[in-house]
Amino acid sequence: MAAAVPKGSAKARRFAGLRRMVAEVRAARGVPKWILYSGIAIVAFFVILAIFAPLIAPYGFDQVQSGAVRFPKQAAPSGAHLFGTTVQSTDVLSRVIFGSRTALEVVLLAVVISLFVGVPLGLISGYLGGKLDRGLVLIMDALFAFPYLLLAIVIAFLLSDKIGQGIVTAAVSITVVYVPQYFRVVRNHVISVREEPYVEAARALGAKRRTIVGRYVFQNVIQNVPVIATLNAADAILTLAALGFLGYGIQPTQAAEWGYDISRAIDDAGAGIWWTGLFPGLAIVLLVTGFTLVGEGLNDVLNPVIRYRRIKPPQIPADEEAS
Amino acid sequence: MARQGTSLRTYVLTRIALSIPTVLILLTMVFLLMRVAPGNPIQAALGGHVSEKQIQARSKRAGYDKPIVTQYVNYLGDAVTGHLGNSLTDHRSIGSILVENGSATLELSIAAFAVALVVGLSIGILAGRFRDSPIDLGGRLFGIFIYAAPVFFTGFLAQLFFSHTLGWLPSSGRVSPLTEFDLSQGAQPTHFYLIDSLVTGNFSAFWDAVQHLILPAVTLGLLISGVLIRLVRVNLMQTMKGDYVEAARARGISERRVVIKHAFRNALVPVVTVAGLQFATLLGGAILTEETFNWPGIGSELVRYLNERDYIAVQGIVTVFAIAVVVVSLLIDLVNAFVDPRVRY
Amino acid sequence: MAVVVFALGVAGCGSSSSSGGTIIRGTTDKPVSYDPAGAYDLPSYDVIYAVYQNLLTVPPGGNTAQPEAAQSCTFKDPTTYECTMRAGDKFSDGSTLDSKDVKFSFDRNIKIKDPNGASSLLANVKSIDAPDPKTVVFNLAAPDATFPLVLTAASFAIVPADGPNAYAADKLQPSTSITGSGRYTLASYKPSTQTVLQKSAGYSGTDPAKNDQVIIQYYDKSSALKLALQNGEVDIAYRSLSPTDVSSLKGASGVNIVSGTGTEIRYLVFNTRLQPGSTDAQKLAVRQAVAQTVDRAAIAKDVYNGTVKPLYSMVPQGLKYADQAFLDAYGASPNLAAAKKTLADAGVKTPVPLEVWWTPSHYGPSSGDEYAAIKQQLDDSGLFNVTLKDTEWTQYSTAAFTNKYPAYQLGWFPDYPDADDYTASFYSKDSFLNIGYNNPQMEKLLADEKASTSDATRQKDFTQIQKIGAQDVPTVPIWQADQVAAVRDGITGVQETFDPSFIFRYWLISKN
Repeated sequence: MAAAVPKGSAKARRFAGLRRMVAEVRAARGVPKWILYSGIAIVAFFVILAIFAPLIAPYGFDQVQSGAVRFPKQAAPSGAHLFGTTVQSTDVLSRVIFGSRTALEVVLLAVVISLFVGVPLGLISGYLGGKLDRGLVLIMDALFAFPYLLLAIVIAFLLSDKIGQGIVTAAVSITVVYVPQYFRVVRNHVISVREEPYVEAARALGAKRRTIVGRYVFQNVIQNVPVIATLNAADAILTLAALGFLGYGIQPTQAAEWGYDISRAIDDAGAGIWWTGLFPGLAIVLLVTGFTLVGEGLNDVLNPVIRYRRIKPPQIPADEEAS
Repeated sequence: MARQGTSLRTYVLTRIALSIPTVLILLTMVFLLMRVAPGNPIQAALGGHVSEKQIQARSKRAGYDKPIVTQYVNYLGDAVTGHLGNSLTDHRSIGSILVENGSATLELSIAAFAVALVVGLSIGILAGRFRDSPIDLGGRLFGIFIYAAPVFFTGFLAQLFFSHTLGWLPSSGRVSPLTEFDLSQGAQPTHFYLIDSLVTGNFSAFWDAVQHLILPAVTLGLLISGVLIRLVRVNLMQTMKGDYVEAARARGISERRVVIKHAFRNALVPVVTVAGLQFATLLGGAILTEETFNWPGIGSELVRYLNERDYIAVQGIVTVFAIAVVVVSLLIDLVNAFVDPRVRY
Repeated sequence: MAVVVFALGVAGCGSSSSSGGTIIRGTTDKPVSYDPAGAYDLPSYDVIYAVYQNLLTVPPGGNTAQPEAAQSCTFKDPTTYECTMRAGDKFSDGSTLDSKDVKFSFDRNIKIKDPNGASSLLANVKSIDAPDPKTVVFNLAAPDATFPLVLTAASFAIVPADGPNAYAADKLQPSTSITGSGRYTLASYKPSTQTVLQKSAGYSGTDPAKNDQVIIQYYDKSSALKLALQNGEVDIAYRSLSPTDVSSLKGASGVNIVSGTGTEIRYLVFNTRLQPGSTDAQKLAVRQAVAQTVDRAAIAKDVYNGTVKPLYSMVPQGLKYADQAFLDAYGASPNLAAAKKTLADAGVKTPVPLEVWWTPSHYGPSSGDEYAAIKQQLDDSGLFNVTLKDTEWTQYSTAAFTNKYPAYQLGWFPDYPDADDYTASFYSKDSFLNIGYNNPQMEKLLADEKASTSDATRQKDFTQIQKIGAQDVPTVPIWQADQVAAVRDGITGVQETFDPSFIFRYWLISKN
């Protein structure tokens, strides 16, 4: 932890934590490496699908005819429609591809917002302590004890009254569910870091509070964040799909959303129409698995707890707190 | 940081005192969320059928336009004295909603949890024991996959396969309509259909209830087992490296015995903690399972009442639910404090 | 693996519904209250019609009010309506049903004024008298030809004023302990799970129930309802199966689709203040052009698999006085040339930007498909550029009627099966739609049809009203739904109850 001496290039110092992380990832081998890399591959696959959706997908997500010919309704997979068509006569393959765009947009937005709200709150609350800390902890605990779907649904109601239904509304309502998690993890970590010798040293040397929090504490705490962020991204996809399934999510006239498609497919299942539900469902499973593998892999690589040949006594792993 | 020597009693009292503000904040939050959410039950029920003026007159009559502070004070007073009132839309007492629908949710949750424990513990132990072997990898991947699948998707597949294609199991509901009526005519001491039917000696109803329970319980249980696998595995690996395990090994005790007798027991402590919390969130996440399997539990009622803007019902259900979560986490802490004195601070 | 263990020997389960005389209906509609004073919704009405009697009711297949608990009812003068009671009617608790109970029921309804109830339909009632046990007199504030049909609404069923199970005069009766004089008694009610009706021994009316017991089982999703029907858990699936369910059940063995005329409609509303167009003439042209462009037949076929019919008047087919004014004015299929001309003549620049609102949470999941189709049709004409917007129902209904949406989706369900309910509700200047539509000629016609008891006058008025409605187009009718049920083999009688009154007469149904 010698890196904490306040000297040297500012840039190098700022990203010391991240660089250490990258180095650890590079050094990974064995099962953790396999897990991490296959997770990255899956996520990358979906990112490519999302970015190039208009090029990859054969049709638009709400397109029901090509030329002047209307697509058949609920047609089985065939050469013309590889994954078949839905009850709205849209192309399932196209909806699955465009759905990855919706999912990733929402998740990215949700994770970024939760990071920008949860991490600073946790930092401040943990470092300053006192009344502010106690108040915030109470509120966050209460939020945590709230049935999460209900919370997301009510927030979605509130927002759709103000800004309409759509990607931003979905992302923000999901955010509310995850902020308390970031807050908890970051705050607890800050509390333990706060008492570390190098932080004490910086304090003794007369460093400003902002410098201490921003530089030393933040540097240290931020290491946990990628793990939680990826695991939360996985969870956020499930929450988005759940909202869609219950009918509170993104509507088909706005974008393609997997959860909504599954909710419609439940009607189809009884009629032996399996393709409308199976493919969006598999897409969810695959993308969530991808994120989880990245998170688990990162955890294995970065978290010294369960690494081989370590002499240090074990601590509670970070993902336990996040789950 | 731990102040040694604090008595268990002081800890318990402090811990209980601390959960009171949490409950209070929860109550306030439910109240605010429900009032800020636009619309009221009259609007939800009759909007699009009678004029706006009429809706306002009706809302006034129902007292929905009272100042928010008055409503809040009334609500807190009622909550503290345990008067949760009647739902605004279908005039049910919150108590009966909790008994009738809450019991359904609880019955399903317990059954699912039993499945989760069996599956989660066995796979978790195997994975932790044979670290980095194909068993470990397989177990982990199973855990990740099952956790990645939304319950409504696995439920959909299970219904499609076991109910629709094979015709082995009923796809939804808690019992068949005739059994429901049959049970409602007899004594219902617990409102757990499995228990009630056994107590009254109604074995056909029992069998019917078991059949209906299998699909939802297994689907939900497998989902939760994903979390347990992850936990058990990690904790077992940690304890396997503990001094006392090494000591046991040094004494020549077989590896099998070491795992089962020594490591597993200790690995279980954090598992119990998280499992308890998981059980609490299980109730909250019940909405999806219940919607998928048409299970008449409290989650699906909650969504319905929310749609109808029945804030009394929503408040009542969430209040009781939130208190349950707080109590569960309190209990976990207390149990831990009792078991492990280091926790008290 | 647990599945395999448990699954052994489970095969063949679920078909335990074959006990004699018990009819099991599955539905996704959940009731609000079984006290008539607190009910204003179809699922509550279904049970109330079975357990109580009204003074008047609509007989199967009819569309006029006929006596039920009354012997006869007539207008003594345009504002006095007098009913004579039948002798010997009793409530299921043994107490006698007479004019005092009728007066009590109506007074109570008006007094309780339940926020979820339908007392607003009695706004025209000044007072009710019961001069002797056989006579009830309604004193109306203004002449009202629709009053007999209003009396057929389940909200105005007769409840006991005295006897062991007397209802309170100022409080709703709990839905679990209700008493009526109808064909059934309530055996058990478990909210949002099950309602059980038992044939009443004390019913003395003309056509007692053809079955012994009715179980109404509630489902959250139509897919669950459909599966329950297929594996024999329920005998009848009614309200509401999705169009996909209906099509797939059509070929299924052991299951029949029964359908009849329904009076539930969907329509598109224009807010004349907010819609596009800079003058009244331009606005009218925009509305007419939409009416000329929308392809109702395509919606009925593509979105609803033929379970709905194109609607060409706000008054649905099956009701007295219904015609097809929109078809006469604009033709059965879209006429793009005419629409183009309409817009050009009024000097409206095309494509016209049009914001249309719909709601995903009130009219079923198919309404999203419906509005996607409408957008497609309007956009493809090259005359419009539609933006679809949606929000959750409660907010939707608040915003729509407080002047926030230029055009929006809406549905209608009859309060009473009369053309008045389908015209005055939308075309009057005081309509709940709040769209700024006001045509003095229309007002005059509406007042005239309401006050007249002459069939010929009303016929003339309604023809005129529907014609003007099609000219002014404040609303565009889209479709009217058939009543569709799926029943298992051996169930009869469902067909007989499907008529515009929307009364689901359990007592007509039997199983062999």
